[in-house]
Amino acid sequence: MISILTAHWSELVEGMKYTIGSSLIALIGSLILGIIFAMFVISPNRWLRIIGSVYVEIFRNIPLLVVAMFFYIVMPRFVPGLDGFKAGTIGLTIYTSAFIAETFRAGIESVAVGQMEAARSNGMTYLQAMKYIILPQATKIVIPPLGNQFVNLVKNSSVLAFLAGFDLMYQGNLIASTTFKTTDTYLAVGLLYLVMTMPLSYLMRYLEKRWSRLPTV
Amino acid sequence: MRWRKIKQASVWWLLPLFVLTLMLTGCGQHIVTKDVMQQVAESNEITWGVKGDMRLFGLTDIKSGQVKGFEVDLATAISKEVFGKEVKINFVPVNSNTRLPLLRNGNVDALIATMTITPDRKKEIDFSNSYFNAGQAILVKRGSKVKSVKNLTQGTKVIGIQGSNSVVNIKKYAPQSEVLQLADAAQAFAALKSGQGDAMTTDNGILYGLTSDDKSYHVVGGTFTKEPYGIGVNKHQKKFLSAINQALKKLEDNGDYQKLVDKWFGQIAGFDGSVVK
Amino acid sequence: MSMIEFHDVNKYYGKFKALKNINLTIERGEVVTIIGPSGSGKSTLLRTINGLELISSGQLLVDNHDLADPKTDMNRIRKNVGMVFQHFNLYANKTILQNITLGPEKVLKVPHVKAAEDAERLLGLVGLLDQAHKLPSMLSGGQKQRIAIARALAMHPKAILFDEPTSALDPEVIGDVLDVMKKVAEQGMTMIVVTHEMGFAKEVGNRLLFMADGEIREDSNDPREFFRAPQDERAQEFLGKILHVD
Repeated sequence: MISILTAHWSELVEGMKYTIGSSLIALIGSLILGIIFAMFVISPNRWLRIIGSVYVEIFRNIPLLVVAMFFYIVMPRFVPGLDGFKAGTIGLTIYTSAFIAETFRAGIESVAVGQMEAARSNGMTYLQAMKYIILPQATKIVIPPLGNQFVNLVKNSSVLAFLAGFDLMYQGNLIASTTFKTTDTYLAVGLLYLVMTMPLSYLMRYLEKRWSRLPTV
Repeated sequence: MRWRKIKQASVWWLLPLFVLTLMLTGCGQHIVTKDVMQQVAESNEITWGVKGDMRLFGLTDIKSGQVKGFEVDLATAISKEVFGKEVKINFVPVNSNTRLPLLRNGNVDALIATMTITPDRKKEIDFSNSYFNAGQAILVKRGSKVKSVKNLTQGTKVIGIQGSNSVVNIKKYAPQSEVLQLADAAQAFAALKSGQGDAMTTDNGILYGLTSDDKSYHVVGGTFTKEPYGIGVNKHQKKFLSAINQALKKLEDNGDYQKLVDKWFGQIAGFDGSVVK
Repeated sequence: MSMIEFHDVNKYYGKFKALKNINLTIERGEVVTIIGPSGSGKSTLLRTINGLELISSGQLLVDNHDLADPKTDMNRIRKNVGMVFQHFNLYANKTILQNITLGPEKVLKVPHVKAAEDAERLLGLVGLLDQAHKLPSMLSGGQKQRIAIARALAMHPKAILFDEPTSALDPEVIGDVLDVMKKVAEQGMTMIVVTHEMGFAKEVGNRLLFMADGEIREDSNDPREFFRAPQDERAQEFLGKILHVD
């Protein structure tokens, strides 16, 4: 395994760059999309609710690979220039956002109804109430499940390998198939994924602790 | 609270332990040592690793679930030649990533899966004599500006199949072109169709299989490499290997081999029969 | 110009009639208490006034705005009509001071310093100045409710709705909250109070509504007289039970 790491270090590092890049973009993108669609799902507006629910149900219940393949194989006919990295990252973002929307919906709904009523009675608009009262409380609740989503996201970014997205898994596949050292290669790849996800797990755990201590957000 | 601290501390200890485990398991390559000849004689059953997604070579029939193709027929003929007409023959679909572990672990006794004989691979497994003189070619949409591998210059993208020798070759023959590697031929072809690359490259036999599926694509420029396919078996299976080679020789001599070539490649327009020995 | 006017207001939950044909006018400066058995529609009536519940038919004017009119800005109504809840509903993620200043700052756009000054004055009024930087979870129920009243006052509303403000409190702290409410009443605030505190209804309120089965059964401008001799049969029965318990 050490020999794989030393002999193919540059390819593996190159792969990690793509994996981290895709994960970061998808992390930010899916967080934004996830919160927006969570707001849709719980919106007082019926049409937004329908749009939000359909989005969440569709992308939550289709395998990531199918979503990613769709952006890689079908979408380029309408959107030129959608290469493996872009298509995979978009797929990953949308797929993850459906789960994050669900996480946030559950978080928001676990904040007592009275908090919203109080804020509205205080003259705040729906969006102000969300921003100042509901979301800060919901965020604290969703930090642990959100951490799981993010770790899953990094692991799921390996879907890029199927789209020639140059990520760590892709490089691992190439190394395994050229050297024939399948076991060693995937062990090395697994270790490198661990190196990327472990700090993320600990960061989330740290945030969880910190936020539960700090009252105001 | 204290429980949590203990848990955190112990997790960090696990990391080096995990790495150590990885290295230990990585060092001990498990190879099945039991003799295949003897084993098949006892069980009267042989298992081949074949392609499940390669038209003409090994393609799983969706209705029956059976794998059909030139390699499947050839493996059947060889098995009957070596072990007799009554032997039970199993086919397990493999891909570039799974074929070697499956062979090593003894899940399959031999691989006949469009696998090119190369010096590197010979270090890991043994190959039979070549049963198909494949050569690499490129596939493009009809009307494409790319007429041969020489047109794959700076700014072009060529799609290959992960783990195939053809991606190594294309980097030599078209060094300026960006190579995109996809999991299998079906996905590579889909990617070509959706415009992810200017050309697709792999062995000609496979490309001909794709053109029989979609006539708006064709093979251009002929073959530019010689990449003979061989049957792969584990090292230390010398008896089995020589039995395979003898069977191959016999099938060639009695014309059965040519019948299989005609059956699978005879109808392919533009198929260059001379590449088959 | 009256503060609040109900004209033939009905409210249904499916087939259930929560409010039946309500006609009611409340003038500025009135302290109206609403009593009645549970499920009689008291809270529903109160919650229609600031739009937490929507009416099904009829007309409801608050500060001369028709709540059923789509052009009416509910947020503007709510700026002028504060609310105090049974379960306080203090913002759990904000300090006591922030609970009071958030509305003025974000809704009325009052500068922070001025909002904080006003909040401190109100904290003084409710007797909790020393709690300004604590979180709601660190306060007792009685303290929370006094903060909730301060939060409502900070918006300088034209009226405040109280939805059973003492029902969730331990008996020994109810007095503190009622004292604060009495102070607010003495300042001339229009108050509508759904309550089980008969003492408050009798001493502080200058008008009393008795509700049963979604209807206003008795509307008295002399609460003391009401308690002495209720006219409505259901009111007699209700008071009989309460006095029996006492």
